[in-house]
Amino acid sequence: MPVQPWLLLGAALFALGVYGVLTRRNAIGVLVAIELMANAVNLNLAVFSRLHGNLHGQAFALFGLALTVAEVAVGLSIVILLHRSHRSVRVGAASELKG
Amino acid sequence: MVAFPPVFGMSAAVVGLATIVAPLAAFLLLGLLRPLRATGTPAAAVAIVAALVSTACAFALVFAGAPREAVADLTVPWLVSAGQTWATLGVYLDATSVPMLAVVTLVGLCVQVYSLGYLHDEPKESFGRYYAFHSLFLVAMLLLVVAKDLLQLFVGWELVGLASYLLIGFWWQKPSAARAAVKAFWLTKLADIGLGAAIVVLYVQTHALDWSPATVQALGPAGATLVAALLFVAVMGKSAQFPLHVWLPDAMEGPTPVSALLHAATMVAAGVYLLVRAWPIFDAAPDVRLAMAWIGAFTGLFASVVACAQTDIKKVLAYSTCAQLGYMVAAAGAGAIDAAYAHLIGHAAFKALLFLGAGCLIHAVHSNELADMGGLLRRLKFSGGAFIVGALALGLYPSKELVLAGVGHAGLQGPLVLLLAAAGLTAFYMTRSVLLALFGPASAHADHAHEAPASMLAPVLLLALLSVAGFALFDSVAPVLVAVRERPHSWLGHIAHGLALAGFAVGFALYGPRRRDALALPGVRAGLAFVRAAAVDRAFQAAYRMGLLAFSRSVAWVDRYLIDGVMNLSAFASQSGAERARRIQTGKTYDYLTAVVAGLLLLAVASVYAR
Repeated sequence: MPVQPWLLLGAALFALGVYGVLTRRNAIGVLVAIELMANAVNLNLAVFSRLHGNLHGQAFALFGLALTVAEVAVGLSIVILLHRSHRSVRVGAASELKG
Repeated sequence: MVAFPPVFGMSAAVVGLATIVAPLAAFLLLGLLRPLRATGTPAAAVAIVAALVSTACAFALVFAGAPREAVADLTVPWLVSAGQTWATLGVYLDATSVPMLAVVTLVGLCVQVYSLGYLHDEPKESFGRYYAFHSLFLVAMLLLVVAKDLLQLFVGWELVGLASYLLIGFWWQKPSAARAAVKAFWLTKLADIGLGAAIVVLYVQTHALDWSPATVQALGPAGATLVAALLFVAVMGKSAQFPLHVWLPDAMEGPTPVSALLHAATMVAAGVYLLVRAWPIFDAAPDVRLAMAWIGAFTGLFASVVACAQTDIKKVLAYSTCAQLGYMVAAAGAGAIDAAYAHLIGHAAFKALLFLGAGCLIHAVHSNELADMGGLLRRLKFSGGAFIVGALALGLYPSKELVLAGVGHAGLQGPLVLLLAAAGLTAFYMTRSVLLALFGPASAHADHAHEAPASMLAPVLLLALLSVAGFALFDSVAPVLVAVRERPHSWLGHIAHGLALAGFAVGFALYGPRRRDALALPGVRAGLAFVRAAAVDRAFQAAYRMGLLAFSRSVAWVDRYLIDGVMNLSAFASQSGAERARRIQTGKTYDYLTAVVAGLLLLAVASVYAR
């Protein structure tokens, strides 16, 4: 099986996720972009699993999915708290760390 | 070594120790127990009882009938290095220390009793403080007197300096008194550098700190000259020799009894005592002794001249003290150490008498100025009479002849002339003081003057009695007490007496019935303006300003502009750097994220190319 197209797809997805994280001003959008990056990693894991002919990579991908779920739960609760305290889900709304 | 006979059935050294322990106990009681100190008169009673015990012990030692070479030694090793003891702590009694013990304790006791009356208006708390300081002084002075080596003497020497500072500044609320205390402290400390340096040199050269002939032998002629010169610097400071005398007149800011005890009878004489005590060292340094003779004689004349121009009765006596100390130093310089010691003891009695008598006059008119007195003898018969006795003793005391004979015998014509002139002037200025204060028309203050209370009169009369007895019995007492040689009935004695009588006569002519102010005579005023001590004082002030203050200003400049400059520069650099660096912290999440991603990319690129 040729792996190059799949790896390129994974890299494209990851780059898209990075772009989304950096450009989205909506916190939920940032979360979605992070999901995109995480799934690009999962895709890579699955591809290499097939390449090597064992299931290690796929097992890692399953763990990765579970972790992503937990991460989304934490991320969404942060967004809710952000909305409560700043009346906004814009990422730029919170700037308490400004020096 | 001949042993000292037992006293009170005890070893003499133990009795000597008791003279110190009694005032030490009083000082600790008064110093540590504030409630006791605050009681006032009972606190004074504690100190006086201690001084009484001390005096009794000291006089028992004097009258123990010990042969001259008897020694009592109760010392413990203090500093031991490489198996060798080079300093001891304890009591060393011999023919030199015992008479001084008696002088210090007796005058101390007289002054403490006298102060009961003189300072009875003081608040109770400061009254107790005063007596605590007096007890401290007695401890320190006695520690100095019974020292067996220079280190213990140094401890006592510095402690009497501290007591002097505390007592001059007793009325610290008065700015002039506080200034005088600091001035006395610094000037004597300046001179004490000599004593400290002498101890170091002595230790380095001989690994011993005593003044025994063996130590002097080990020191060699050059070493002895150096050590003697350094010691003499300290003596000049403590005993107020020109040009380090300027602190003594200012020290008169202290209460009059303090002036009598510390700045006339005992503490200032500590310098002369050091000369007597460490005589083997000075004996081996003829060059230093020549300088001593000249400085002492010059101080004698200079201070006598200045005393003639003083309007404050205590200042007259202060300069007179300088002059008499000059006599003692000159005698020591001429090698007549017995004459110096005899003059020290006699002077302690009659100068304490003069000061305490002057204190009675001051107490009566509430002023130190001679102009505020006048005609006081009518109202103050006892204290005025005692003052006259003291003045006569100062003018004619026999030990002065011994000093002159010693200086003449040593062939020191220059110092001899200076001292003879001083003898005449002494009689003149004492006549002036007596006539201005006790005779003539009464001033406004003198009209309601009243005689001093018994607590003040008793010590004054006792000292007057002692002065008269010392005068009358000099030829029989002095050889026993300080081993003076036969009093030489030389032409010098006659000249000295003649000059003194001339001084009395001139004083009487000027200030007698046809009172004229000598200061108004042509020429006198100009001459006096020059020597009125201000010259030396100004020199010290100028040296202080140009030397010390300029030095401290340059140090301040270095501190302010160089050291502080470096500090300020680094503070400024980090502050402005931080001001710029803080702008990185925008607080915006996406800026941080951008930085994280950029960092990641950088790491990724680096990991690829760093292979």
